[in-house]
Amino acid sequence: MISKITRGVRSVLLSFFFCLLFVTLSFAGLADQVFEKILDNGLKVLLVENHKAPVITFQVWYRVGSRNEQWGRTGLSHMLEHMMFKGSKKFSAQEFTRLIAENGGNDNAFTSEDFTAYFENISSDKAQVLIDLESDRMHNLVLRNEDFQTERMVVMEERRMRTEDDPQAFLMEQVQATAFQTSPYHWPTIGWKEDIERFTLADLKSYYSTYYNPVNAIVVVVGDFRKEDLLPRIEKGFGGIPRGVAPEQKKDVDQPQSGERRVFAKREAELPYIVMAYHVPNLQSPDSYVLEVLEALLSTGKSSRLYQSLVQEKQLALSVDADNSLLSRDPSLFTLTAQPLSEKDVTEVEKALNEEIERIRAKPVGLQELEKAKNQLEAAFVYGQASLFYQGMLLAQYEIARDWRNVDEYLPSIRKVTPEDIRRVADLYLTPENRTVGRLIPLPPKEGKPAPAEPSASGRMIR
Amino acid sequence: MIYRIANPARRAAASKVRITFILVILVVLWIAPVRAGSMPRVERIVLPNNLVVLVSEEHSLPFVVFQMLMDAGSRLDPAGKEGLANLTAKGLLLGTSTQNANAINEALDFMGASLNTSAGQDYAVVGLQVLKKDLEKGVDLFIDSLTNPVFPEQEIQKEKKKILGAIQAADEQPMSLAEKSFRKTLFPESPYGHPVEGTRESVSGLSKEDTSRFYQTFYRPNKAILAIVGDITVEEVRAKVIPLFAKWPASQVETGPINATYSKGSQTVKISRQITQANIILGNIGVRRDNPDYYSLSVMNYILGGGGFGSRLTEEIRVKRGLAYSVASFFDAEKYQGSFQIVMQTKNPSARESIALVLKEMERIQKEPVSDENLRRAKAYLTGSFPLRIDTQSKLAGFMAQVEYYGLGLDYPEKYPSLINSVSGQDVLRVAKTYLFPEQVILVIVGNLKEAGMESPSSTP
Repeated sequence: MISKITRGVRSVLLSFFFCLLFVTLSFAGLADQVFEKILDNGLKVLLVENHKAPVITFQVWYRVGSRNEQWGRTGLSHMLEHMMFKGSKKFSAQEFTRLIAENGGNDNAFTSEDFTAYFENISSDKAQVLIDLESDRMHNLVLRNEDFQTERMVVMEERRMRTEDDPQAFLMEQVQATAFQTSPYHWPTIGWKEDIERFTLADLKSYYSTYYNPVNAIVVVVGDFRKEDLLPRIEKGFGGIPRGVAPEQKKDVDQPQSGERRVFAKREAELPYIVMAYHVPNLQSPDSYVLEVLEALLSTGKSSRLYQSLVQEKQLALSVDADNSLLSRDPSLFTLTAQPLSEKDVTEVEKALNEEIERIRAKPVGLQELEKAKNQLEAAFVYGQASLFYQGMLLAQYEIARDWRNVDEYLPSIRKVTPEDIRRVADLYLTPENRTVGRLIPLPPKEGKPAPAEPSASGRMIR
Repeated sequence: MIYRIANPARRAAASKVRITFILVILVVLWIAPVRAGSMPRVERIVLPNNLVVLVSEEHSLPFVVFQMLMDAGSRLDPAGKEGLANLTAKGLLLGTSTQNANAINEALDFMGASLNTSAGQDYAVVGLQVLKKDLEKGVDLFIDSLTNPVFPEQEIQKEKKKILGAIQAADEQPMSLAEKSFRKTLFPESPYGHPVEGTRESVSGLSKEDTSRFYQTFYRPNKAILAIVGDITVEEVRAKVIPLFAKWPASQVETGPINATYSKGSQTVKISRQITQANIILGNIGVRRDNPDYYSLSVMNYILGGGGFGSRLTEEIRVKRGLAYSVASFFDAEKYQGSFQIVMQTKNPSARESIALVLKEMERIQKEPVSDENLRRAKAYLTGSFPLRIDTQSKLAGFMAQVEYYGLGLDYPEKYPSLINSVSGQDVLRVAKTYLFPEQVILVIVGNLKEAGMESPSSTP
């Protein structure tokens, strides 16, 4: 039973998606609990004491993700993330793994368009070992060609699993590449297959020296520690690392879209899938908070508009979702997705999605319904606080998108939203001209039925 | 454990349920003279109707989690009615004698509360998460759904359609397909052999009457465990919550041991899909949760393939050879039966090589004693990572309920470190020999069989 948790990528992934559902939810007063210290070398340290359980989450965030990559070298951020586990000057890869595990810690890392993050969740008395490990790999990473060649194969497997063999993810990649033309959000974080095959150890070395520096990093620790004790240790561990040069972070963004775009993907799949993606602003614009409420109105809970209409009443879809991108560093997408039931025409599903969008553009929502959406957002952030990991992640994401202090603007901004705001913002962004529509066209499996189980003659597998 | 997440934000989750109850399995309880601040305190109360209530106060955030385990999982599905436990669990939220599904959903959403039901193989779970200020209303909805469901015909039909759609959608995921096939092959006659959600055929045949009957039989307080964690006191539970549950009538229920048959001897199932990877499950019969070797198996499995980057399978297959992004082993120990599985995906042409490596590691741990160092590390991780298993209200509630369900005893948390620490190298060797069957594995592979060189039905991999 214990190992169900470690069973595979799916469960880990889901828990991350789950976290990200919450990511747009901040909580009142979180910023008040943050102690910030910028070390002399530019490293930003954010500490939040929380003594409810004897554990901490220790996180190191680098302001580098696929948006920092170049055409022809996409996926480099994520590749480097993998290489960060291959050993540094003081600790070999095996020692790294061993030290975390024998101290009862769980560690992992993840990469997005905007950031690369490393974390360990561990008993609160084990902070020192994390400081030793993370500070060493911040500037003493050992990049060996042999490790790189093997790990590149692992990343190729990862791409196969996540994208090539997952029809919905494949379609999403196509939608993103169609919606963004100028912005580096055009390419997938894991990188194009050809680029993963192309980039070199020299690319990784140069990327590491450009982006993995104190001046481009944030250390976030949340949990059961005393900052009087922890901060001096962090200063000692990380303070001696040379500052580095703050990398150029300004990236091109797309011009306003001038007409609907459509993209189709034909893959072996059981059911169709539809995505409608609209360009929207991020938290730099007050409209982004209105879009948060809009997301809740459309798809949070079984009484939400899309669920009621498409799943309950019309019974067209198995599932529906709306998703805003509040915390992206550059403006990103507001997406609606639906998985049609098998016998339903995907055109009908698109029409039903459209009707809901047009309805919300045409007529202000009722006060009761608006209140419900706000209550949902507020409750969700209270629940979200239960996870120290999530608290740390939220602060870091705010910091990377803008400033961690903005976390406290979230609830008041949500509370201010009026029915007219919803109508205006929907009418401004959720227009056909501003969207990319993607459709998955399922191809039936070549062999639909499992072959019957066969006892093998020898009773023995060949190696 | 160590799986890198690429691009986590980009893919929208399939359905939006803001709050999920994360079931964390196996753990350790607390109670007892607790080291300052390390283990949460738990109060256990047994009602006259034999409902067991477990309470742990956690006042740092203004919300409360309820988690009820009902001994009403899919192992109790009648033959031909596979999926009934699942439909019944879902049916709880489709309307009660006093309010319909829409009214329930509106009320929950307006509070930002979540009320979820799901079925597993052993038990069903009814979970509530609600803000402290809405506690009373939330508990009313929870109890009403649990004790007065009416399973309206029209809603049941809709729910069946959704389940059928979900079954179809899951067939698109190669690993889900492999998992179903593995269970079916390992447990051809056992109630653990069919998918919890049932099959297309069986679900189509389920009726409102079936759900009502299943509910009347199995949803009883004497077969339930209620865990409550959060911003509520034991006194409040006694005064406000328990009286409501006390009215729920008990009834004799037969949910005893099952006919635990399983397949012996090796079998291979191949399913062809036009995909780039072979999705592989390789395994054999496992153990029941009450098997005394469970702890030796935990240590052995950690070393073999349960320990992420520290494990042999990850080292050999991923780290040394780059053949897979993930490879992991686990014992899935249910109440009356269990399985052992190794799960991985690799590009089709590497399937045979990867399978051979897995078998080699299974044999190695049966032949060579593990080093003292390996043993020490495994124990250190298993005991040291304990606090992470109960570090949120939801995790703790799930943990408490499971400890009770599997009869691990109130002193389980105290016992756990010694249960693990008493495992010897000889124990590891012995359980590896006893419970791993590399020469008689069930192998399921979903992938492009031609590319994998496994196309011919007569070829063994």
